[in-house]
Formats: sequence, structure tokens, C-alpha cells
Amino acid sequence: MRLKVITTSLLGIAAEIGYALTLILAAFFICILLSGKI
Amino acid sequence: MIIRPRGEDIKIIGYYLGKIILGLAFIMVVPIGVSLIFGETNPLFDFLIAFEISLAFGIILTWICKTEKDLSWMQGMIVVSLSWIVATLLGALPFYLSGHWQSYLDACFDAMSGFATTGLALVQDLDHLSYAHNFWRHLIMFVGGQGIVIVALSFLVKGFSGAFKMYMGEARDERIMPNVIHSSRFIWLVSIVYLLLGTVVLGLTGMMLGMKPLNAFFHGACIFMAAFDTGGFAPQSQNILYYHSFAFEIITIIIMVLGALNFKLHYHLWMGNRKEVLRNIETKALFFSVVVTFSVVAVGLLQAGVYPGAMTLLRKGFYQLISGHTGTGFQTVYAMQFKNDWSQLSTVGLICAMGLGGAVCSTTGAIKMLRVGIVWKALLEDVKRIILPERAVVVQKFHHVKEVFLEDKQVRSALLVTLIYLGLYCFGALVGMFLGYPFLDSLFESTSAAANVGLSCGITNSAMPGVLKVTYMLQMWAGRLEFMSIFTLIGFFVALCKGK
Repeated sequence: MRLKVITTSLLGIAAEIGYALTLILAAFFICILLSGKI
Repeated sequence: MIIRPRGEDIKIIGYYLGKIILGLAFIMVVPIGVSLIFGETNPLFDFLIAFEISLAFGIILTWICKTEKDLSWMQGMIVVSLSWIVATLLGALPFYLSGHWQSYLDACFDAMSGFATTGLALVQDLDHLSYAHNFWRHLIMFVGGQGIVIVALSFLVKGFSGAFKMYMGEARDERIMPNVIHSSRFIWLVSIVYLLLGTVVLGLTGMMLGMKPLNAFFHGACIFMAAFDTGGFAPQSQNILYYHSFAFEIITIIIMVLGALNFKLHYHLWMGNRKEVLRNIETKALFFSVVVTFSVVAVGLLQAGVYPGAMTLLRKGFYQLISGHTGTGFQTVYAMQFKNDWSQLSTVGLICAMGLGGAVCSTTGAIKMLRVGIVWKALLEDVKRIILPERAVVVQKFHHVKEVFLEDKQVRSALLVTLIYLGLYCFGALVGMFLGYPFLDSLFESTSAAANVGLSCGITNSAMPGVLKVTYMLQMWAGRLEFMSIFTLIGFFVALCKGK
């Protein structure tokens, strides 16, 4: 039971970090897109 | 007719204020421990003096004002707004005693900046500041980020009703759990779990960069507290630029974004509702807002030819943008570069990002994403009303943990707070311009202070006029507490003077 709670919380933390990484990737995509055009 | 507050009101306010001061005194034990670990004698005495003054003040206040009565809404709001002022005055004592701040006002400025998680600093010769004082700078950010009242709620206050009023007064718009004391403890749980994880990751990264283990973990703990609580202080005067590390920058970006998320969202994600991160109005609004504001900043920087490569643009442009948007204030460029290198377009993009902020019930300041989302939905609703046939029933809803139907009172509240924030940004800019600073610089620094960000374009330094220091302190205080408790405090003093 305790293991399940810890696993669920860790997956929640992974989802949050995933969100932050998506923001960085989106920004990097914008950097590549714009630096080639301007 | 205005009713004059009774002696009983002042007694209840004094009692709860005393409890919060006692909480602050006990927090000062931590830097005392740090000074013992690092064998720093003078800082030890600085903190012992501040600890004793705070403890005595707290004990006397709770003893004189001892009461069993619970707080009313007005009293709760006043306790909150006063506790931030008293915490600033007492928290500045060890700063002033260290001799690294030119005046007590400068020490108070940094204490307010720390508690309000802003990050603007007037400290002198930061690179030679003691470990204990440096740790205190970051610890007050950690305490201020959770909320000074949250500390008292978690450990010192027993009554549920009074606790709820203080919790709401500290700009916590939402309860995470039905019981507000459990909500406070969950906020601490999230922060402590991330503190351990973040310190280990940053400490190990520091060691890989060549720092000694104890120093690396000291820096790791300080940087984590400043990043997660969207504060912006750093142990070195060059801020994050000191580390010259891409890995350090990526890790701090992740921590800043985590700090800008709603604690209610943390709760639901940790409880297994992982789809919430994709559906929540705040995460969507934050993503959209970051993409738009960064595009503006990037175009401005590329036009100016400052950072021509994609990677440099990410490390310099995006880092300052996300630091500003989350309300952190970490910098990987020098303050004067905003003025000399950045174009006006990119500076305006950054000011917009700073003014918008992160999620409600997080550690960030500013307008916040829930309000931006609500205003956007209200705009869509009005457009639909015009486009669709007159008899069509237009219903707008948004997802925030559950499906919520948009109501006029939500829109009114969101617009009202947005308007007051915009007014606060303009007020600081006007004071700056009155004192002779250029328009864009004044607006930049004012927004940074009022939105509790901490990015600086060079105006903030110990030589700036005292009027501007006090203005920025008021902006930080008002911006952090989101106005209502401050308006209540003003009303209370008016009632004291003019009431019958």
C-alpha cells in the first residue's frame, strides 16, 4: 500500500518535470525556427 | 458610520501576531546552526541577538494579549498584513548587524525582498558574506514562499476558523484539502520533498563543476530555495551566471516551473490524477503565455543581433524569460545588459511576462494564470454572444481540477485584481520617472518589484533614492499579499482614527 502511494507520487513528480521539459523543448523549437529566419 | 475597533480586537490581533513572531524566532535557530557548522563567531552573535529580540517580543505580545477567542475576518487580514511588516523588521536585524548593508533601511529592503520572494538586493560585497547570513537570505525566501502565516498555521495555531481567515488573507485563493491546516502541511510536504531532491541534484551538479562537497550542497540548498520559491537570490553576486553551466540552467528552469505551479495541482498530480497537467486552465495558459512572450523576446533579440545562435538564444533569452514569467528573478546576464544590449521589443516582452506571473496558490506573485485564463474565457464568451443567434444560450466553462462554469463574479474578481496590479506597476514606474529614470527602465524595475520577480536592469542599488527603496518595498508587500489584507489594514487604521 505504502509502495503504491510512493509510486503514484513519483509519477506525479515525473508529470510535473515533463511539463517543465515540454516548455524548454517548445522554447528551443522557437529558437531554431526564428534564428533561421531573422 | 464607521465603528471604532474595540480593545478586544487589538488584543486578538496582538495575540496571533505574537504567535507568528514566535514562529519567526524559532526559524532563526536554523542560521544559528549553520554558523556553528561553519565556525562563524560574529554571525552566531548576530543571530543570537536577533533571536532573543524576536523571542522576547513574541512572548511579551502573546502574554499581554492572551485570549481564547478566534479571529474574525477583519482581524485575520490585519494579522497577515502586519506579520509581513514585523517579519521584515525583525528579519532585517541579523542583516544590519553583519555590516554588509549600508543602512537599516537597506537591510529591511532585502528582508522584504526575501520574504516576498522578489529577489531585488541591496547587499554589499555579497561574495564575502558569511554562510549563516547567506543561508538566512535564502531561508526567508523559503519561509515567505510558503507564506509566513503557513508556518504558524502548520505548527502554532490550533483554531480552524481563525487559521482559515489568515490562510485566505495571505493570497491563498484555494484550499487544497477541506481542512486548511492539512492544506498548510501538504504545502510543506511538497516543499520539503522537492527541497531534498533539488538540493541533491544541484549539489551533485556543483561537485561535477569542481566545487567542494560542503560548498556544493550549500549552494544547492540555497539555489533550490530561491528557485522553488520563485525568489531569485543567489549566494554569489553574479547570480546564476557564476556557475557557467548549461546543466545548472536546465535544472533551475525545471525547479522554477515547479515553483510556479499551483499547490492544488501538485496535490492532484501526486494523488494520481496525472491528466490534470494537460487539462488544467493554468498549465494551458502558462504554456501559451510563455510561448507568446518568448517569441516576442526572441524576435527582439534576433533583430538586435545580440544572441544569433539558437542555443545562445535559449540560454540567455529563454532563461531570463522563464525566470521573469515564474517570478523568480535568476539572471544569466548582467543587469546593465538589459539596458545596453537588449532591444526595446525584447524588454517589453520580458516586462509582459513578469507582469503575468505563474499559478494562483503557488509561490509566485503578479496577475497569475488563473485570472488570465478566466479573462480570456470571458472574452471568448462575449465574442460568441455577438456571433451566435440572439436566442442561443452561451455557456462558457473551464477546467481547474473539475469543470467550472464561468460566472460574472469570477470575471469581475479576476479583472479587479488585474486592474489593481496594472495600477501598481504604473505607480512604481511613475515614481521612478519622477526621480529621473527613463520610462522603460522605470517600468521594468517597478513591474519586477510589484510582481515579486527580482530581475533588475540596474536601478536597484544601495545608491538609489530612499523614496524609491520604500516604494519598491511597498510594491513587494502589496504584490505578495494581493491587496485585500492591505486594504483591510488601511480601513482598520481609518476606523481607529475616525470611528465612533
